[in-house]
Amino acid sequence: MIKFIAKRILQLILILFAASVIIFCMVRITPSDPVASMTQGRRITPETRAALEKEYYLDRSLPEQYVIWITNALQGDLGDSFSHRQSVNSLIAGRLPTTIQLVLMSAVLALVIAIPVGIISAVKMNSITDRLLSIFTLIFVASPVFLTAIILMLVFALHLQWFPSFGSGGSWMENFRYLVLPSLALGLNMVALISRITRSNMIEQLNSNYAMTALAKGIPYWKVVLKHCLKNAVIPVITVASIQIGSMIVGAVLVENVFALGGLGDVLIEGVKAADYPVVQGIVLMMVVVFLLINLLVDIAYAAIDPRIRLE
Amino acid sequence: MMKFAGIFWHKPLIRSKKQEGVLFTVPMILSAAVLALLVLCCIFAPIISPYSPTEQNLADSLALPSFRHLLGADRVGRDLLTRLFYGGRTTLLSAVGVVALSVVIGVPLGLISGYYGGLADTIIGRICDVVLSFPSLLLAFVLVAGFGRGMFSAVVALGIVYVPMLTRLVRSLTLVEKNKTYVEAATSIGYSDSRIMFRHILPNCVSTISVQITLDLAYAILDMASLSFLGLGVQPPTADWGAMLDEGRNFLLQNPFLALAPGIAIIITVVSLNICSDGLHQYFEPVQRKLPSFKKVEKRKAKETAA
Repeated sequence: MIKFIAKRILQLILILFAASVIIFCMVRITPSDPVASMTQGRRITPETRAALEKEYYLDRSLPEQYVIWITNALQGDLGDSFSHRQSVNSLIAGRLPTTIQLVLMSAVLALVIAIPVGIISAVKMNSITDRLLSIFTLIFVASPVFLTAIILMLVFALHLQWFPSFGSGGSWMENFRYLVLPSLALGLNMVALISRITRSNMIEQLNSNYAMTALAKGIPYWKVVLKHCLKNAVIPVITVASIQIGSMIVGAVLVENVFALGGLGDVLIEGVKAADYPVVQGIVLMMVVVFLLINLLVDIAYAAIDPRIRLE
Repeated sequence: MMKFAGIFWHKPLIRSKKQEGVLFTVPMILSAAVLALLVLCCIFAPIISPYSPTEQNLADSLALPSFRHLLGADRVGRDLLTRLFYGGRTTLLSAVGVVALSVVIGVPLGLISGYYGGLADTIIGRICDVVLSFPSLLLAFVLVAGFGRGMFSAVVALGIVYVPMLTRLVRSLTLVEKNKTYVEAATSIGYSDSRIMFRHILPNCVSTISVQITLDLAYAILDMASLSFLGLGVQPPTADWGAMLDEGRNFLLQNPFLALAPGIAIIITVVSLNICSDGLHQYFEPVQRKLPSFKKVEKRKAKETAA
């Protein structure tokens, strides 16, 4: 087991290194003038320009810049933003809580909606209910996250006025009210995938011998479904849901944009538009790290449960 | 990426004894008809519509749906339905561009990787691993930051993002095909490797690849719309479903159609493509593991015990 974990961590470090090189190079693939992004187009003297270039290490060669960036990043310092006069760290620190809360709330909402849907579809397999639920969830996959967000906003914030239509609260408790609609929009997008997997797993469990035995012993049907089968069916569902966190992080960018939540996504998009390299590099690197770490944890958890995977 | 295999009935239009491998099923025909209608509307937009997609007419600013403007008009008085058709051109063409780019890069890489194996396979495999370590749109953000905003860079960015999935698919198909007798025969005749890969192995993979491509097209539409919505893809005044949604969301109370119409257009297209992909999948690989439903098993068991 230790060997397996060590091997996976080594792989992760290598991939992360390659990913960081890609991020660094891709951001700079076309020549643009970062100083213009700092001064927002104001005219500056050559001395100021030289001083700015020196401050941001822009006078060094690209490999040198990369080494400076990655060594600082390893020590937890992502550098200074070009357009915001503050460090990327403080930019992230201010915005991260909202994004994390959004992603977690949507993950919970997605599971809370999807698992019952999956169970019902499995129990009523191939019936009209099953088909209708499938088509219903398919519509939410086909609907871009931001469209779902806009429709929810139109109905529940602008017309019914149950929830605020934009912004976020001060503390995380206050934030709950602001994040209901955004996390619903993000969660609904995930429902289809999770409910499909719940459905297929539940069908397999319902057809298993132990379910038959339980029924034969006279245990009520709903109890077999909810207590015996669900327990076995739910583990792979949680796995898939946790791997989906990666795409939820990206979805969060879109939803934050609609509801102007002032999360990490907004800073990232602003950074992309303004060619603010340190911001884009820093946030993307952080998201990739989170994404890979979650995948690693899922893999390790799986290997702990199922020893066959370790030997692969 | 997910597939909706088996949601829809896919019953053949004309009942025959041979139930397997029917391409023209009811959902397939419906979805194909919807797609065809959409494409035709987009192609013949200048003939259908009397309005221009970019010409402003401030007298009609934010007009509600009427006979003059069937779906209303936007802030600067451009007819929404007209822009929807022209936007469809941009959205569909850019999605096709994304998929075409990923096919042009991904398929040869997959063939080489599967056919030669060894070092080439390792290198291509590792590159795919690295690209897949980014959540898909995130890499597109990085690439757009590098290439600059605009439709062209968004298409290139997404095209690159879609490569590894396709490469892996083609690789796994090639691994199966290359051990078949016809490849052995072709080798013994002395055909070149590239001829065997592209003229012999590739045609045998086309069916599975086409299922994936249809699905990728749906995702490309969604992702292009996302990029344009964020202001990273198609730039105004060019009409595009994602960019139109972005403009329309500021006028939700005045005329919600401005945001909803392009959104619904996206949903309809993506659902149709999903159904097509599902239908193609069932046509090419009709054998599916089907578990009997719980109730049926119970009934069968009850019958057996009774007998």
